[in-house]
Amino acid sequence: MFKYNLKLALKSMRRNPIMTSLMVAAIAVGIGLSMTTLTIYYLMSSNPIPEKSDVLFAVTMDSWDPLRPFDEDRPERAPHQVTYHDAERLLALSQGKRQVAMFESSLIIEPDNEDELPFEAGARVANGDFFPMFNVPFTYGSGWDRSADAAAEPVVVLTKALNERLYGGVDSVGQRLTMNGVVFQVVGVIDTWEPTPRFYDPINSAFQEVNDMFIPFSLTRGMEMPSNGSDWGWKSEEINSFTDWLNSESVWVQYFVELDDPRDADEYVAHLDAYVSEQKRLGRFQRPLNNNIYNVMEWMDYHEVVARDTKVLVGLSFMFLTVCLLSTIALLLTKFVGKKNEISLRRALGASRGVIFKQQIVEVAVIGFTGGLIGLLLALVGLQGIEVLYESPPGLARLDWVMTITAIAIAIASGVLAGLYPAWRVCQIPPAAQLKTQ
Amino acid sequence: MGLGPMISTLMRSKTGPLLVALQIAVTLAIVINALFIVVQRIEKMNRDPGIDVDNVIVTYVRGFGEDFDVVSSITNDLDLIRSIPGVVATTVSNQIPLSGSGSGTRLRTVPDETADAVNTTRYRWDENGLDALGVQLSRGRNFTPQEIDVVMPTIDPATPASVLVTQALANDLFGEEDALGKTVYWSDMSQSTIVGIIDHMHGSWVNWNKFNNSVIQPGMQADTTNKYVTRAEPGMRDALIPLIEKQLGESNRRRVVKSVRSLQDIAARSYRRDFAMVTILSVVMTLLIGLTALVIVGLSSFHVTQRKKQIGTRRALGARRIDIIKQFMFENWLITTAGAVLGVVLTVGVAYWLEVSFSLTRLDWRYLPAGIVTLWVLSSLAVVEPARRAASVSPAVATRSI
Repeated sequence: MFKYNLKLALKSMRRNPIMTSLMVAAIAVGIGLSMTTLTIYYLMSSNPIPEKSDVLFAVTMDSWDPLRPFDEDRPERAPHQVTYHDAERLLALSQGKRQVAMFESSLIIEPDNEDELPFEAGARVANGDFFPMFNVPFTYGSGWDRSADAAAEPVVVLTKALNERLYGGVDSVGQRLTMNGVVFQVVGVIDTWEPTPRFYDPINSAFQEVNDMFIPFSLTRGMEMPSNGSDWGWKSEEINSFTDWLNSESVWVQYFVELDDPRDADEYVAHLDAYVSEQKRLGRFQRPLNNNIYNVMEWMDYHEVVARDTKVLVGLSFMFLTVCLLSTIALLLTKFVGKKNEISLRRALGASRGVIFKQQIVEVAVIGFTGGLIGLLLALVGLQGIEVLYESPPGLARLDWVMTITAIAIAIASGVLAGLYPAWRVCQIPPAAQLKTQ
Repeated sequence: MGLGPMISTLMRSKTGPLLVALQIAVTLAIVINALFIVVQRIEKMNRDPGIDVDNVIVTYVRGFGEDFDVVSSITNDLDLIRSIPGVVATTVSNQIPLSGSGSGTRLRTVPDETADAVNTTRYRWDENGLDALGVQLSRGRNFTPQEIDVVMPTIDPATPASVLVTQALANDLFGEEDALGKTVYWSDMSQSTIVGIIDHMHGSWVNWNKFNNSVIQPGMQADTTNKYVTRAEPGMRDALIPLIEKQLGESNRRRVVKSVRSLQDIAARSYRRDFAMVTILSVVMTLLIGLTALVIVGLSSFHVTQRKKQIGTRRALGARRIDIIKQFMFENWLITTAGAVLGVVLTVGVAYWLEVSFSLTRLDWRYLPAGIVTLWVLSSLAVVEPARRAASVSPAVATRSI
């Protein structure tokens, strides 16, 4: 019976090729556009580290200007980064399960081969807890341990891409690498790791590739590593050396803590309060106590990682899909009216309402499915276009199986939804009555 | 022919026309709001930067190693760039306008920490800076070579005696008063005198509401990464970019030339989200208008075929061709207008949602009448051909059985 219905559906579709293609096109562009924007939204709002997003917390402490808040529009917020010396002390106190202080910088790599020109590579300066905390996968070797942090050992973890460039992708653990005049030892090479969004640093950019390498935070002082990321200051301080800069009230270090249990959050904030109260006695932190920690998804919200433009586009494209569906319904209605004679005749020859209804639904499902498939292809093209427009790293805007299934489901559901009323209307045609009037 | 028969025709099968009216309403709501956003973004991207963006080249370099002398490196680099034919002027700047990265500060007109301060971008360049960016000084004077001191990142620079400000910053600080010759105070309460006023110049962050506020200090910024701003003679930019990259690269192996790019490229990158929004919404509007127009054409054509007998009968009873055309046009006009009325309500609703949820600018009401008029014209155009075909139905059709 289904085969017969399918045959009838195809026959009926062929009879009005222009109308059929218009319906398929309407569903296709509607699905194509809404799937493109929905995928972008889905990627931007997805949980980059679902297995532990509720035990990883960004730490903020209000060390800002006693006279005015950090963010005048949101006075309840403390600065989103911490000062270097506070980060150093919190690391030493080590009150969480793991903690990481970090910032973005860059180093000049001087290849051993004299013919090769030195080049600059991006670095994330962080302590060794970074790797186990954020579940970073390794191809070769591993991160470094706390003793390497304590001794400020010049060790480096490379990304796959940089290891490819420097060593042709082979196991480079133990190799020596001269950077900024210091000889580093390679201890690990990470595997492809592209958390989307880049949750550990939405401040500098939530959507970009991982930095080329990682080096210990404790090297900052000795190597005078400058921050390439954002820094914010409020106090006029005499800065005459790198040490002065490290001791300044400028906030430029990002601090994350991992707790054993989400319920330990209050206890950790109490630790922060205790630390700040102690600093208050030294004359710092003159604002009211305002220390907060944010888990990964809260931190994403805090930084509005999902751009407003994206939300606007999702809203508008679903309205667009509505227009496409309204078109389809109107076209189907008109088309079914044109089939009155045929239906009448079939009813007169004994076809029940149910049979007619089923046949109509098969026809719209075929239209919905075809439109959905073309729509998916359009979405793929749309996502490519988005990548070019936003200059995002290649492969970021991709259609995974969740979105593919969603797209097909929405397409068929829209097709059937659009077809229900017209099909019901058709079933109301009395048998033979239509034939008489002719 | 009166309205009666037309309306009664419409009422007989009201679902179809109702759906078209609904579709027109949603189309109107999307197109008007999208167009408003597009126009705003285009206006934003087309703001006059006050800088000769088309001819400016930006070079990022970074020295390394123990024995690297940043000051002589910068001096040599600038001399080398200046010696290349086609270069108008060059300077080292602490940050690049329109680049999205840089530093800001707060200025006051009185030496009082509790007084209100004005936010501004802060530049530092030498006496060639204005020429290198192609920025016009409207009043006062430029820096003199004697005012240019070297500024190292780890050493607090002495507060310069003279600064330049943009007119927008001058207005924020002093209102109607003439700012030239006035004193401004930095966060540490040290002071500088305004010696020149730049009529207009964009700062570093294209999305900042104080984008037009800039203060310029005289100086030669010697950082880890240094930024050279070079202005080329018109038409020479693209030829100079590889030349600068090559000559700088060969002149000093202790310094990496990170990138040499046109300021136009850098600015386009800063505006890429706006450009993306304009592109995406334009595609949406085009598809939407195309689809709705096709559906109107398709449905009217179908109706003409369906109603051949009715049309033939009317013609046989004495209706002229023009009456038939009028009937179809009027039917279409009724549906469009019903859609437009509903559309206005929807448009305002969507505009309100955008304004409240995403702090977008409130919709300019003039878009509404403009949108409705356009809608009338477009939907009339869409129905002209089907109506003409309807009018060509022969009166004899009425006499045939099928």
